Amino acid sequence: MRFHFPIFDLPPEAEALRAEVRAFVADEIAAGRWQRGGDFASHYDPEFSRRLGKRGWLGMTWPRRYGGHERSMLDRLVVTEELLAASAPVAAHWIADRQSGPLLLRFGSEAQREAFLPRIVRGEIFFSIGMSEPDSGSDLASVRTRATPVKGGWSIRGQKVWTTFAHRNDFAIVLARTGEAGASRHDGLSQFIVDLKATDVKVRPIVNMAGQQEFNEVIFHDTFVPEDRVVGKVGNGWQQVTSELAFERSGPERYLSCIRLVETALTGAGPAPAPRLREALGRMSAKLIALRAMSIAVAALLQKGEMPNLEASLIKDLGNAFERDQIAIFRALQPELAAPGSDYLAALAETTIYSPSWTLRGGTREILRGIVARGLGIR
Amino acid sequence: MGTAQNDTLQSALAIDPMVVDAAARAFDDLAAKWYAGEPSAEKRNALLQAVIELGFADALPVPDGREAWLDAAAILRAQARAAAPLDMARLLATGERAASIAYDPGRYACAKAPPAVSDARAAALALGRCLQITGAMDAALDLSVQYVQDRKQFGQALAKFQAIQHSLAIAAEEIAACTTLADLALACAVRDGIAAARMASLLDAAALVADRAVDVVYDACHQVHGAIGFTREYALHRHSLNLLRWRDELALLRGGTVRAAERLGEQALAAGGVWRAVTMLMKPEKTA
Repeated sequence: MRFHFPIFDLPPEAEALRAEVRAFVADEIAAGRWQRGGDFASHYDPEFSRRLGKRGWLGMTWPRRYGGHERSMLDRLVVTEELLAASAPVAAHWIADRQSGPLLLRFGSEAQREAFLPRIVRGEIFFSIGMSEPDSGSDLASVRTRATPVKGGWSIRGQKVWTTFAHRNDFAIVLARTGEAGASRHDGLSQFIVDLKATDVKVRPIVNMAGQQEFNEVIFHDTFVPEDRVVGKVGNGWQQVTSELAFERSGPERYLSCIRLVETALTGAGPAPAPRLREALGRMSAKLIALRAMSIAVAALLQKGEMPNLEASLIKDLGNAFERDQIAIFRALQPELAAPGSDYLAALAETTIYSPSWTLRGGTREILRGIVARGLGIR
Repeated sequence: MGTAQNDTLQSALAIDPMVVDAAARAFDDLAAKWYAGEPSAEKRNALLQAVIELGFADALPVPDGREAWLDAAAILRAQARAAAPLDMARLLATGERAASIAYDPGRYACAKAPPAVSDARAAALALGRCLQITGAMDAALDLSVQYVQDRKQFGQALAKFQAIQHSLAIAAEEIAACTTLADLALACAVRDGIAAARMASLLDAAALVADRAVDVVYDACHQVHGAIGFTREYALHRHSLNLLRWRDELALLRGGTVRAAERLGEQALAAGGVWRAVTMLMKPEKTA
């Protein structure tokens, strides 16, 4: 086997934590604090994020000295998968908790860790990803946003795009060119923590196909960034960016985007569900078991300090294809499921409209398959 | 087993160093997963001895539970990778020393019931088929990866074409899913025993995922090979025919894939949702 997905069972304490998260979710729903719906990238609720912070469910794996809770990656997986399965509003803290925090832990300065991590853990500040540009999508190494040294720091000029929730989040980690690209094109890139509320940063909305404002373009016109906001080493941006990928691509958000559609299908099914529904639920369960076992394997490898980027890319492509398959399967059951009062039709509309974004965000299907092919030794 | 057949098997198994090699590698893989370190030299030698000697069915306990499954799994996968002719899964599960047969859906489909064995033996056979399917898929992909690097058209190796790269990438993804599920069922057999309550559901799931994976692998591997793959002269056919046969038998052991899916679906309905059912099925009994 070229790809390594060792079997891990979740320890009993992780299963106990699952019961705790389910009880918390049930309380939240019973109190009418939010409605199920949307997914990790669209359902935004800072108050909910702060309540998670109070519970100790943000920055779970980070060291205590930065406000973290020193839990395992498997505990974190349990919390994230249960929140996603409940279609809870996780979008506000998602990027900071999954990606920006771990990046600062790995490459950030001590001062940066002390300044940002405890506030992320409390759900006080939220982060966006500043990678894509108008002329740089999948070809990330071609970014043209440029940071030039000035007195006391850097001056950034350029433009980022598809910056999710830049209009509400506090900071973005911006990838910018600081030197020559070199033959590999991977040299001369650096990462900066940019304050999205600063007056010299312009954030403009881009309304998506669903009519929602989640995307933005972010324009830097000689935006000043102090020296102490450089993440890691100047010129080391490519290595730092690619180290985020195992965190970004292997999680349950890559195969649970369709879960609300499927769970609402049950509510419309009535007391004697059609055999076709039973079959569809069973087929879904089978693949979901495989994907979840793979995702648990990657979480366990991350816990051991490994960086299984290849396996993570494989999970994302397989998981995205699975999610999209489910929409077609559960759409075909409309006559049986479209009962009055069922959330199924709303979920069908939402997942169908949003589904093209699943196979684009976090690495397109084409990029992921290229990575898997490289793993096979044919690229 | 007849003498002539015995001789055939002897030459296929004992003389072919590929089998021994593959068995050793497969065993190391599995042992690393389960023993968190190197397998003991004693254990490793016993395995190799078992593979080399034809009387290995006696050398190994019938895998009806616990760690014997690890040895059995290593042999099943290695044998499947080498497309060796003895029907090992049947031998281990039922003691029946049948050789492999050609792909003939009638053999299974016309039998209204699965082979007349106990539930535990049927589960053992199904798990054996899962493991063999993963071994055969690996072998088919290996051949394909090699072939697209060697074969040149339009002045370059087939591997340079993105369409070819993606087609084999998708096959590799399905293999990974199927292998992980087979490993999960194997883990259940090792720890909770082949008769564990959740084993039936894991095997239902494995039959469904294998069904899809074999479709994708069968399609992609033959497509990149062109006509040579569709001959008896080239090795791919051995893996393909094994895959078709084992997949059908795995499905039939579960009463067909539709029935397997319905059973899993009933569990989802009973648990109050797919997610609750899945998290329950993946929880080991010891901690349940």
